[in-house]
Amino acid sequence: MSALLASGLGDFLRDAVDLQVQVDAIGLGAVFALMAVGIGLVFGVMRLVNFAYGQLIMAGAFALAYASDRDWPVGVGIALCFAVVLALSLAMERVVFRPLRTQSAAVMLIATFAVAFLLQSIALLWFGPLGKTATSLVQLNRPVEIGGLEIRKITIVAILTAVVCLALLVLLLNRTSIGLHMRAAAIDAQTARLLGVRANLVSTVSVLIAGALAAVVAVMLTVQFPTVTPTFALQETILVLAGVVVGGMTRLLSATLGGFLIGYVSGLLGGALPSSQSQYLPSFLFGLVILVLLIRPDGLFTRSRGLLERV
Amino acid sequence: MTALTIRDLEVAYGGVTAVRGLSLDVEPGEIVGLIGPNGAGKSTTLHAVMGLVPARAGEIRIGDVSLRGRTPEAIARSGVALVPEGRRLFAELTVEENLRLGLAARSGSDGVDEDLAEIYELFPVCEEFRDRHSGALSGGQQQQLAIARAMISGPSFLLLDEPSLGLAPTIVDRVFESLRVIAKRGIGVLLVEQRAQRTVALAARTHVLANGELRLTLTPDDAADTDRMVAAYLS
Amino acid sequence: MRARRAAVEFLAPALLVVAAGIVGAFVSQTTEIYFVTALISVSTVVAIYVFVGNSGVLSFGHISFFAVGVWAAGVLSIPEAEKPATMPYLFDFLRSTTVGNVSSLVIAALVAGGFALLVGLPLMRLSGLAAGIATFAVLGITNNILRYYEKIGPGLNTFSSVPESTDLLQATVGAVLVIAAAFGYQRSRFGRQLRATREDPAAARAVGVSIYRQRLGSFALSGFLAGFAGGLYIQLIPIKVDAVYIDLTFITLAMLVIGGTTSLWGAVVGALFVSGLDSVLAEMEDGMTILGVTIDLPAGSRLIVVSSVMALVLIVRPGGLTGGREFSLPRLRPAVAK
Repeated sequence: MSALLASGLGDFLRDAVDLQVQVDAIGLGAVFALMAVGIGLVFGVMRLVNFAYGQLIMAGAFALAYASDRDWPVGVGIALCFAVVLALSLAMERVVFRPLRTQSAAVMLIATFAVAFLLQSIALLWFGPLGKTATSLVQLNRPVEIGGLEIRKITIVAILTAVVCLALLVLLLNRTSIGLHMRAAAIDAQTARLLGVRANLVSTVSVLIAGALAAVVAVMLTVQFPTVTPTFALQETILVLAGVVVGGMTRLLSATLGGFLIGYVSGLLGGALPSSQSQYLPSFLFGLVILVLLIRPDGLFTRSRGLLERV
Repeated sequence: MTALTIRDLEVAYGGVTAVRGLSLDVEPGEIVGLIGPNGAGKSTTLHAVMGLVPARAGEIRIGDVSLRGRTPEAIARSGVALVPEGRRLFAELTVEENLRLGLAARSGSDGVDEDLAEIYELFPVCEEFRDRHSGALSGGQQQQLAIARAMISGPSFLLLDEPSLGLAPTIVDRVFESLRVIAKRGIGVLLVEQRAQRTVALAARTHVLANGELRLTLTPDDAADTDRMVAAYLS
Repeated sequence: MRARRAAVEFLAPALLVVAAGIVGAFVSQTTEIYFVTALISVSTVVAIYVFVGNSGVLSFGHISFFAVGVWAAGVLSIPEAEKPATMPYLFDFLRSTTVGNVSSLVIAALVAGGFALLVGLPLMRLSGLAAGIATFAVLGITNNILRYYEKIGPGLNTFSSVPESTDLLQATVGAVLVIAAAFGYQRSRFGRQLRATREDPAAARAVGVSIYRQRLGSFALSGFLAGFAGGLYIQLIPIKVDAVYIDLTFITLAMLVIGGTTSLWGAVVGALFVSGLDSVLAEMEDGMTILGVTIDLPAGSRLIVVSSVMALVLIVRPGGLTGGREFSLPRLRPAVAK
C-alpha cells in the first residue's frame, strides 16, 4: 500500500516538475491573478465583494461568441466584449453598489449574490443552457515550439498580458492622482473624502478597471474554452475568491498573489494529478479558506489589520 | 468677506440629540474656540459642518451658500478643511503623498508652489521627511503634517478637532502658534479643544458647549478665571 | 398586554400557514404540489431565520444542513431492497437500516443539528463578511462530499425511490412545528440574549452574554430545523445533489430578505410570497390565461423576476416586506402624545 502511494507520489512529482506542466500552470495562474486584481481592487476601494464578477466575464464571453457567430473581425469582437463588460460594470455600480454603500458588508454580499443570479438567469433565458461558441481566436490555442516544449500561444499571451496589465496598474496607482486617491480611499475612505477625494469617481474608476480586466480574462478564457454557457467562469471565480481570501483580501498585492497561487496550483494538480484523485480538491480548498479565516483572517500574505470582523 | 455661519444647529445620532440650538460665527482671520466636556457635542458640530453627519435642523452656511446636504468632498472643495480627531493620516503613504492628497480639494492649480513654500516654512517636517512613511513620524510631527495637509487645499476655513490630544505642552504651544499665523493669513479657524484655558487665551471668542447646548461664551480676558468655566459645566 | 402580543406573534404566522394548508386542500391535484413545496419552504426559511435573524450574522451554509437532512432521511427511509439500485456502495449499517416516516424525520433533524454544532464550533467566532465566506465554504464542502462519497448516499445519481410520505397535512404540521420552535426560541432567555448581541454587541458583552455560546446554540437549532425541512423535502420529490446547492441557497435567502430578515413573521411572509410568485410564474411559463389574456413567459424568467425583486428590496426597502417586525394588531388606543 505504501509502496503504491510512494510510486504514485513519485509519478505526481515527476509530472509536476515537468516544464510543460509548469508553463501551463503559470499561464493559468496569470489569468487567475488578473481576476484576483479585479475582485481585490473593488473590495479595497468599496469594501464590496463582487460575487457577480464571474458573470461579467461570462457576459464578455457571450459578446465574443455573438461576434464570432456573425463572422465579424476579431478586433470588432473584442471591442464588443469590452463595451458590454464595461457597460454592465457601470450599471452594477450605479444601480446596486452605490445605493448600498452605507449598508453592512453582509448586505452587500447578498446584493451581489442577487445580481449574479439575475445575470445568470438572463443568460440562461437568452442563450439557453448549451450556450454559444466563440471561435474567432481559436488559433491562439495552437502550440508553438520553444526550446523543445510545446507551449500554446495563448499561454504566452496570457502571461505577457498579465504582466503588462499589472505593470500598468501599478503605474496608475503609484504615479497618478486618481491612483493616489484610490489608495487613500482603500485605507480610510472617510478621511479621503474630507480631503476632497471624490468617492463616486474613485468607485467608478475602480469598477471600470475591474471591468476591463474581466474583459481581458473573457478573451483569454474563450480561447481555451470556446463554448460559452451561462455558468462560464463560475468555477474559476469561486476558486479565485477562495484564493483572494486565503492570500489576503485587504491588500491588492496579497490578493493578487493568492489568486495567482491558486491558479498555479490548480494548473499543477490538473496537469499532474489523475482525475480520480482530484474529486475532493474543492473540499480541501474550501477547508483551507475556513482555516485562514479562523487563524489569519486578513490572509496569509498580509500583516494583520483586523478588517474582517471577529468576535 | 464671508463668514462661516451656524444657526440653531440640531444634530441627532440614532435617537439621541447630540447638538441642540447651536449658533456661532467664524469670521475670516479670527480664531473661534469650542470647548466642553466629553460628549458635549463638539466633534459632532464639526462633523455636521463637514457633512459627515446630517443636520436635523438649523443652518450651516458660508455667506449665503448653504453647506447642508452636501457631500463631505463637495464641502471640502468649497473651502472648508477639517483636521480630524486623532489626525487620521494615511500611515502607509509617504509624507509627500499625504500632502498631495490635500490637493484634492484645491480648486485650480495656480499658486500651489507658493502655498507649498509657505507650508514648508510653517511646518518644516513636511519637507524634511518627504519620503518617509507618515506613520514613522512623532505625534507632534504628525500633527504638523495633518494641519499642512488641510492647508494645502487653500481653504477659507480651517476646522480642528482636538489637535493638542496626546501632545506635550511645548509642542502644543508650537501648534497653537502656527494657528495664530494661519489666522493672520485671513483664514477663519474653528478650534475644538479639551484644553480649556489655552484655547480661551488663544481664541477671539470661545464657546462652552455642554450636553449639546451652548452655555457660555468666553474671551481671552476670562482666561485666568477658571471658576466661571467650571460653573458653566456643572449647570 | 404582553401575553397577548406574544400570542399574536406566534399565531399570526402559524395561522397564515394553516390557512395556506387549508386552501391547498381545495385546489386541483396538480396545483397542490405548489402548496406543499411552499410550506416546506416556510420550514426551511424559518430554520434559517432562527440563526440569521436573531444573530444578525449572515450564513450561506444552511442549505448544507438541509442537504444533510435530505440525505439522512432519504437513505434511511428507502426500503432495503431498493437501496442498491441507486446507492450500490452504501455502508452496510446504512443499507440494512430502514426506518419509518416520523423516525426518519427525527433522525434527519438530529444528524443535521449535530453537523451544525460541529461546524459552528469553529465558525461562530466569525462575523460579517468572514462569516459569510466561511459558511459558503461549508456549503461547498458539503456539496463536494455528498457528491462523491457514495458510501453515504446516491452521490451523483438521482435520489429516487424515497417513499413519498410528505403530503399537505404533514407539510403544514411540519411548518407549524418549526414556527413554534422558532417562536419558543426567540422568546426564551437564549433568544433574547442573542438578539441583544445583534443590537449592541458591546452592551451585551458588558452584561455577561457570551456571544459565541449564544450563536452556537442558535446555529445548532437552526441546523436541526433545516435538517427536518430537508427530510420533508426528499420525501416529497426525488432530487439530484445540485438541487440542494447554490440555487436553493439563493432562493431561500431571497425569501428571507424579501420577507424581512429580522422577524419570524418576515420569514413566513417572505417564504409564502416568493413561493406564490414563483408558482404563478411557473404557470405562466407553461402558458396561463387570466381574464381571457394568455400569458406565456419564456422558461427561466422566474429566477430573473425573483432575483430582481430581491435586489430591489435590498436597495429600496432593506427591511423587507414586513420591515423586519413581527405581526402586531393595530392599536385600540391612540399612542400617548409626546
